[in-house]
Amino acid sequence: MSGRLVLALALGATVLAPLVAPTYHVLLMLPFMAYAVALLGLNLLFGYTGLVSFGHALFLGVGAYTGAFLTSVFKVRSMEVILVAAAALGALVAAPVGALCVRYVKIYFGMLTLAFGMVFYTFVLKFYRLTGGDEGMPFLRPTLLGRSIEGLPKTDYLAGPYYYYSLAVLVLATLVMWRIVHSPFGLCLKTIRDNPTKAETLGIGVARYRWCAFVISAVYAAVGGALLGPPTGNVDPTLAYWTQSGNIVFMTLLGGFASFFGPVLGAFVFIYLQDWVMSVVPFWRLIFGAILAAIVIAAPGGLAGLWVRRPSVEASSS
Amino acid sequence: MRTTRRSFLRLVGAGAAAATVRLDAPPAFAQAGHPVKLGVLTIRAGIAAPVGAAGLRGTEWWLERVNRAGGILGRPVQLVVEEESNPKDTVERYRKLVLQDKVEAVLGGISTGVTLALGPVAEDLGTPWLSWDGTTQKGVEETMPNPRWAFKSVDNEVEAIVAGMLTARHFKGIKTVAGIGNDYSYGHDCWQAYQAVLKRYTPDVKFVLELFPKLGVTDFTSHLAAIQQSRADLLMCSFWSGDATIILKQAAAVDLFKTMKGAFTTAGGVHDSLKKNFTPEGLLLGYNTMYFDDPKGSALLKQFVREYKAKYAEYPPYECDHAYFCAESYKAAVEKAAAGSTKWPEKATVVRALEGIEVESLSGRRSWREDHVHMCNFYQGITTHKNPYDFVTIDPVEVVSTKVAMKPAGTKLFDWINSWKI
Repeated sequence: MSGRLVLALALGATVLAPLVAPTYHVLLMLPFMAYAVALLGLNLLFGYTGLVSFGHALFLGVGAYTGAFLTSVFKVRSMEVILVAAAALGALVAAPVGALCVRYVKIYFGMLTLAFGMVFYTFVLKFYRLTGGDEGMPFLRPTLLGRSIEGLPKTDYLAGPYYYYSLAVLVLATLVMWRIVHSPFGLCLKTIRDNPTKAETLGIGVARYRWCAFVISAVYAAVGGALLGPPTGNVDPTLAYWTQSGNIVFMTLLGGFASFFGPVLGAFVFIYLQDWVMSVVPFWRLIFGAILAAIVIAAPGGLAGLWVRRPSVEASSS
Repeated sequence: MRTTRRSFLRLVGAGAAAATVRLDAPPAFAQAGHPVKLGVLTIRAGIAAPVGAAGLRGTEWWLERVNRAGGILGRPVQLVVEEESNPKDTVERYRKLVLQDKVEAVLGGISTGVTLALGPVAEDLGTPWLSWDGTTQKGVEETMPNPRWAFKSVDNEVEAIVAGMLTARHFKGIKTVAGIGNDYSYGHDCWQAYQAVLKRYTPDVKFVLELFPKLGVTDFTSHLAAIQQSRADLLMCSFWSGDATIILKQAAAVDLFKTMKGAFTTAGGVHDSLKKNFTPEGLLLGYNTMYFDDPKGSALLKQFVREYKAKYAEYPPYECDHAYFCAESYKAAVEKAAAGSTKWPEKATVVRALEGIEVESLSGRRSWREDHVHMCNFYQGITTHKNPYDFVTIDPVEVVSTKVAMKPAGTKLFDWINSWKI
């Protein structure tokens, strides 16, 4: 089956889901779409630039808290304003953080991003009067395209208008990221990933390109964080904790960082598998961890890698 | 017909299942229709896992008794248990219980950080939610004063208020107080409330030190050194988990309580780990809403403590009582709403019946206030070694009702405390 056909079927199923799927499963698609946006950005850094960030929950948190502040403190309910503000603040925070982090690679880069992530976590936890501390802040229901939809029950709002809004943001984010990774800029990032010395020799400003990739990935994570807020209705520091950073890196590995859509697939499998395992066994973390470890061991290229590898195997056998 | 391995296993499985059915079950149970499903949200991992386990055990004990007696309106009760973790995931589990599992009500919720997010979701989904220990307070103020579907726990700071009242009664002449609590809203709010109350009873008291270590810290060496250096007359501590045990052990190593009094507002949550060899007599110790060794305890409490000890080899903490009360009050409300009929009442009728309802819980009579908040008693007292256990208990046992120790509906906490006539 060709990639385009699979993609069209997946998109069709996602569009039809609210009409045919049980409401609960439709609602589970909301964190999937939010994480998918964040993962598209993370993979620009991870899969295309070769830098593994263990602190991207910082930007998820920036996006989510931006929405919470705008809706509950500044009484700004427009989701479009929230998304733009989240993206802008994500870039603003990422600019200095990225400038410091991209001077290092491998584990040093990872540890620095982790450190900045935990600084932000501690900030939102400790500045109780500003952020609500451990109790967090309410993320009030935003308006979509200028329509308030206040009369609609929250579940119907989430499973209807908000679902399609999130899907539209995901599609738009995917198209933009597709354009980025297939542009000369994307090609330069891949060159830097594969051989930074050669890239430098070719005249590519390695640090500058890495910084740009970092800022773009932060913008995506912040937009994803803003999308995560309305379904829960409350934003709290656990969104910015290092385990969140670990989860999104794991989603990327699970789906396959070598594939453009791999991280998106990883987010989908992670969320639905976790949901299922949580309901089946009380000690679900043990089982879930074992299942995920088994998948990664059996498929080092991620789930997308299994599918991509098949044609070459068939070709070699023929 | 050929017997295959699979059909044989199926037959064995069916036989095993049939063997578990009680033949002496009452007729109503036998004729019952579909089981009534109740969702349970409980913490299963991390520092609060023992609290969650106690709540679940209390609910399971209630379940066995109710099902043995024929269920609710003749329907057996079935629990669907999901995990309480962070707000985002717990909201998703809550939605699963209501939308996917179609439960009649959801019981549980311990952390206010989580239940603040659950409250509006419960209101939206239109299913009764009876919280064990979680409130919808932001700090010490209520965020949902008029809920329809959400029923919330007693205000978080009540045990600190009770401790403030009892400090004044039992430790007369206290001039200086140091405080230690976990670095999150509960720790800070308890300290604020305790100071406000004690100040009312002892206006010249001075608060000389406040420490807020991170929840889960296990080394209190530097904190204890600071407390000793403060030379306070009394240490107030609002730890509620294993850190209460740890700080008492480390305090014993430096003889802290030979020169200082202590008020442990909530350490009764881990009461049977407070061994006599490191927990001195003479401390004020809070057990929240249930004291397992209450000499005036009901037959129900004594039976529960006996069976709990036999099953789990430990004595039950207060979370069992919160959980039992939520389940029992739901049952009573369904029966009240049915008004003698066997027809299952609408959810909206059940929540109306819950308002103001009073039932016998493990700790005694408990009720729901009209604004959907637990009303109950708090148990605190002075630690003693004169008991048959290897851990401390309390004597005398002080019982303080939420009627006097919890702010009335619609009032601000500190305005209310400052309005007391003492």
